[in-house]
Amino acid sequence: MEISEKGYRSVTVTDVVKRAAIARNTFYENFGSKEDCFLAAQKFAMSTALERVIAAAGELDSWPWQVRAGLAAFLEYVTAEPALARTCMVESLSAGSAALEYYEESQQAFVSLFRLGRDVSPHGTDLPETLEEAIIGGVFWIVYQRLAVSEADAVVELLPEVVEFTLTPYIGSEAAREVAAGDISGEKAQR
Amino acid sequence: MRASDSKNWPVSQTGLRSSGSVSSILLSDPVNPPVDSPEYPPELARLPPGRHGLPREFVSHNQRERLIAGLAEAVSENGYAGTTIAHITRHAAVSRRTFYEHFNSKDECFVAAYDSVMSELRQRVADAFEQEDEWPQAVRAGIAAMLEFLVAEPHLARLSMVEALVAGPVVVERYDAAIQDLVPYFAAGREGRSADVLAGLSPTTEEALVGGMVSLISRRIFADRTEELESLLPDLVEFTLTPYLGSVEAAKTARG
Repeated sequence: MEISEKGYRSVTVTDVVKRAAIARNTFYENFGSKEDCFLAAQKFAMSTALERVIAAAGELDSWPWQVRAGLAAFLEYVTAEPALARTCMVESLSAGSAALEYYEESQQAFVSLFRLGRDVSPHGTDLPETLEEAIIGGVFWIVYQRLAVSEADAVVELLPEVVEFTLTPYIGSEAAREVAAGDISGEKAQR
Repeated sequence: MRASDSKNWPVSQTGLRSSGSVSSILLSDPVNPPVDSPEYPPELARLPPGRHGLPREFVSHNQRERLIAGLAEAVSENGYAGTTIAHITRHAAVSRRTFYEHFNSKDECFVAAYDSVMSELRQRVADAFEQEDEWPQAVRAGIAAMLEFLVAEPHLARLSMVEALVAGPVVVERYDAAIQDLVPYFAAGREGRSADVLAGLSPTTEEALVGGMVSLISRRIFADRTEELESLLPDLVEFTLTPYLGSVEAAKTARG
């Protein structure tokens, strides 16, 4: 996690092997270059985040609550792993175009979860085609803003705001606010 | 093209870059408009080598603009990382020494180019927004102006929305600030809303809206599908107005 301290550009392979307490040979047995190593860290972080989101959402039945649980898992992961999150979300911007492309594409893994909301929305068929892409971009942007100024602790506190932001286009602002407030009794009564 | 055509000297007639719209934007540096430029005979802007008896300040300013335009062209060909100072000076048709008289590094030249593009973009958005009386229509006009500019100038679109992200921390900081500068346009929509609507907005609503909007735009540019941007207008308008107007009303404004 050398990168989160020095920034991608100034980190050398020597820094990485020193921090990881491995031999330089071992580094090159595993990775072709600093960029390869970065991409691997990025893939690890994004796939772990996605696994946690899916696992958390899968525990609930109704879509708005699934979204809430998924977003909570995502924000908790970011707050729990600030160095990894920073590497993945902030440093990926300066780590070359392959990293940037991967970052952009992996965000879109969340599309399918959000898209299910069209089935429960009273105007689901009228929603803009790009809605999910825009929502995800917005959520990542506000998380990124906190990480860029090293406020990872504040990320988990964004939960009510991002839940409301995400759900409003589908179920309206009042229902979205209820889920955002986190009173799950209504959801349990339904089941 | 309105702003640069009317307020700046007619670069398109200089023969400097007859085909490149990149340079017509960048050469009309809105931050440092050339002194007395409208009276200047356009053909002299070619700056033939050797003694030309032109005022030193003019020559120097012209070279700086050419370098900025040269960087934009070089970056659109080679990407930021692949661009060298030799690429820039070749496109600008100036010497390496001249480059270093104006900039210490490729990064510094990139920052100057980025600032020129963003100041042009900002101006167009502000003009479009101010021309409308009603806030929802003003938002629509501002977004339309932004998309129009990016579609008309695909190289500058790439420079400002994609290459800027890989051009190092100084530019990324400026990029972040430029996006956050859009927040007040949306925050203006809170004015006069009912308590109920306001209760549905959080302190980060506007930030999330501009982040979402920019993400949609930059993903298209990243994928070299810049020409699709104008068709995003209704989606972007509906997305950004929904928190304030509700989705039915927002969709109506989005359709124009």
